[in-house]
Amino acid sequence: MALRNDRAVQAARDIELVEIDDGYTLVGGPEESITQQHDSDRIPEVDVDQEMLSNSGEDPESWLMYGGNYEQHRVTTADLITPDTVSDLELEYELSVGTGSSMEGTPIVVPGDPPVMYQTNGPNHMKAIDPREGEVLWSYTYAVPIGVELCCDDNNRGAAVWGDKVYMTTLDSGVVALNRYTGEEEWYTSTADHEVGYSATWAPVIHDGTIYTGSAGGEYGVLGFEAAIDAESGEIQWQTDTLPEDEWVGASREHGCGTTWMTPTIDEERGVLYTAVANPGPDFDGTVRPGPNFPTCGTIALDLESGEFQWGFQSSPHDVWDYDAVAPRVLLRDVDVDDGPSEMVVGSDKTGWVYMMDAESGQLHERSQEICQHINMWEMIPHISADERIPFVPGAPGGNDWQPPSYNPETGYVYVVHQNFPQDLYWRYEEYSEGNPYWGGGLDDPASEMPDEWNESITAFAAVDPATGERVWRDWIESEDEFYMWGGSMSTATGLVFNGTQNGNLVAYDGESGDRLWEHEFDVPISASPMSWYDPGEEKQYVAVQVGGSGWLRQGTRGDTLAVFSMGA
Amino acid sequence: MCGGNMSQTPTASNTRLAERGDLATALGVDTAGEEDVTWTTLAGRVEPRSDSTFASRGATIRDDLGDRLDPDLIERERDRIAAEIGRLPDVREAGVPDEPEGLYTEVAEPGWRPYDHLLEAGFFERLDETLPRFTAEHVETTARELVLTDRLSSALDDAGFDEGEKTALLSAVANDSERLSRWVPSNQIPDDVEFDTSTIPPLHQRAMGGALLWIRGLDRHLWQNEVLVTEEILDDAAWYVKAMLGGLFVSATAAHDLATAERFTDEQLTAALTAGTAVQIVSQEELLHAVFYITDEMRAPSELR
Repeated sequence: MALRNDRAVQAARDIELVEIDDGYTLVGGPEESITQQHDSDRIPEVDVDQEMLSNSGEDPESWLMYGGNYEQHRVTTADLITPDTVSDLELEYELSVGTGSSMEGTPIVVPGDPPVMYQTNGPNHMKAIDPREGEVLWSYTYAVPIGVELCCDDNNRGAAVWGDKVYMTTLDSGVVALNRYTGEEEWYTSTADHEVGYSATWAPVIHDGTIYTGSAGGEYGVLGFEAAIDAESGEIQWQTDTLPEDEWVGASREHGCGTTWMTPTIDEERGVLYTAVANPGPDFDGTVRPGPNFPTCGTIALDLESGEFQWGFQSSPHDVWDYDAVAPRVLLRDVDVDDGPSEMVVGSDKTGWVYMMDAESGQLHERSQEICQHINMWEMIPHISADERIPFVPGAPGGNDWQPPSYNPETGYVYVVHQNFPQDLYWRYEEYSEGNPYWGGGLDDPASEMPDEWNESITAFAAVDPATGERVWRDWIESEDEFYMWGGSMSTATGLVFNGTQNGNLVAYDGESGDRLWEHEFDVPISASPMSWYDPGEEKQYVAVQVGGSGWLRQGTRGDTLAVFSMGA
Repeated sequence: MCGGNMSQTPTASNTRLAERGDLATALGVDTAGEEDVTWTTLAGRVEPRSDSTFASRGATIRDDLGDRLDPDLIERERDRIAAEIGRLPDVREAGVPDEPEGLYTEVAEPGWRPYDHLLEAGFFERLDETLPRFTAEHVETTARELVLTDRLSSALDDAGFDEGEKTALLSAVANDSERLSRWVPSNQIPDDVEFDTSTIPPLHQRAMGGALLWIRGLDRHLWQNEVLVTEEILDDAAWYVKAMLGGLFVSATAAHDLATAERFTDEQLTAALTAGTAVQIVSQEELLHAVFYITDEMRAPSELR
């Protein structure tokens, strides 16, 4: 069946992203969620069990979760594509997903004959795909209710699988479970009220039959949380607020935000999860929420079973620059250091550095050399001048926004995307009067005057040695349209690193040297993170990436392509 | 662990000559050519200026709150705050805390009891209702009254503040009216701002609670970031903690005075309540820059690369 006759695709296409005063909302969506089956019988009915999930990172045929494995290494052990062979990597096919909206997702692949890919994109659209043939087996569009408030776009970044189900977070702050063989809805659970500003855009992660998911809405005065949901029933098992009561003054905590809007990292050995924690609220007026605003703009560890708080680390305490920590934390188990911790949680943050933290305690092992430039950073407190503007780098998108880093076991390096673009922050001193809004400040992108020190490259893609924090290499990237690089990277156990640029180039780097070994050019930006798997039936290694502009600032030209590359044995 | 140098005077506590000149100018005192501009020299040359608004506000606060406060609790904890101020050199000497809750958590501890007591008594809300926001005029009058309040000056002496440190506190009040003006009483923020104003604590609660959170948070911050921390950062941490506790001490002194109807005039009471909050605000913002926002230029060199 052609996509033009696919009711789920049509429903997604009918949903319009509309700009409103405080962000975006969606109009024109279906009243009920829609599943369109094409050739769902082709999906092998083999349930995904815990052993498969735990081994996802080691199995070259699998990419069973957003981060590739629980540690979020985003690495494939498939080894056909190497620095020596990558020049032969060819485009196998381009599949139009048909929706023309946000394309920030990473597909997952369940091994089998054929393997099955589950791919999502905005607005809450999912497909099951036979990745050998590039054919859609079923498609699904969630009926997002009227009134969702979205700060940035109608993103969905990926799915999770367990047993006979596949799961997706929903823009109204929920999780929906589908029968992964048929695409039919099994249950839906709301984690918070979307009418007060909560939403959800990330891929959930599942461990031992429990789904772990977070919270978004940090520009709408919500209270951030992390939640655990029974994957079979949809029942919420625990829900932990990110902001401890004794770390905030009075009721300022109630709208203190601290959301957790990317996929948490699972530490199976310690029985904890690590997640980034976003900005405090309100964004720009810190005087109404004094103190460090712990643990916003940082990292927390929570017990998997109970949700109990373990530790927190802040990279920008009492933040007023929107330096939320967002990108998935990367767990490293055997870092070669002399006398420091060998198990680290790596956080690459908007502050423009990468933080290596002891996984047990949260203590900083080392902070990296700067990845992006630091110009006028952390200025403007105190609020000494009503009219003063200071262009600053990193701007509000970082540094590292949500773009997931990858870890390459061959090189031992972590690869990160940091933006490098001046913005203006200004404090507005206004007499308060009824009827006049008080913003406490504003943000201009780009800055009205570019600082002389700025090197005119809008993005840096870099390799960091987690043992020392050394920035081993860095590729500065320019953009004529001043688009940000909006996707993350993927590593291969053979020593390569793939990354898509805002200029539409999918690039394979030599992970050791940073040399560009292979490139493929698309005509629109890449805003998603690539993934890879090996198909023994075809004796091929594949690399897939979604293509199309996305993001909250100058997102770039939209696209709706799922591109799949391959290399034979 | 970093060790401290006890003979070293924290640089941050020594207000620069220019700032002292600004302070004198703000108080209408001509100190051209003088290097030794201090609280004491200013106290001898500031002209008293009657301000009926200050007096009436002080009287209102005294009437409303005088019998709601426990003078014994406030005095006991104020003395303990002074003791913690006296203990700060030892805390500084200990360097980076060796656990995420320890040295500075103990320093902050006696501050929490008067904070809780004042909160329960409705003290902070009443101040928001009675005192104006920080305008240049209100700040100048506050500084003028402050410098003329001998009893407060001697109380700060007793709490361990030398002349330079006292002058730094005074300067924090007098020279920062625009910065302070960003801190708005919660009841003066209109309902239609982009965030919910109903959950914003009173201004004076934000100042005191924020100061205590910053002090307590130092243990975790310094311990976690030990690889970035320098001796200068530790010096600044110790000074700004002292300054925040100094502000808290002034607030507690004022609260004790209004609970006992002791010796402050109503003008002086208004000034002490305003100044205590102002010092806590300015000092926590300075601490933020000097200790929490550690740039590459400030950090200790990496030992790993």
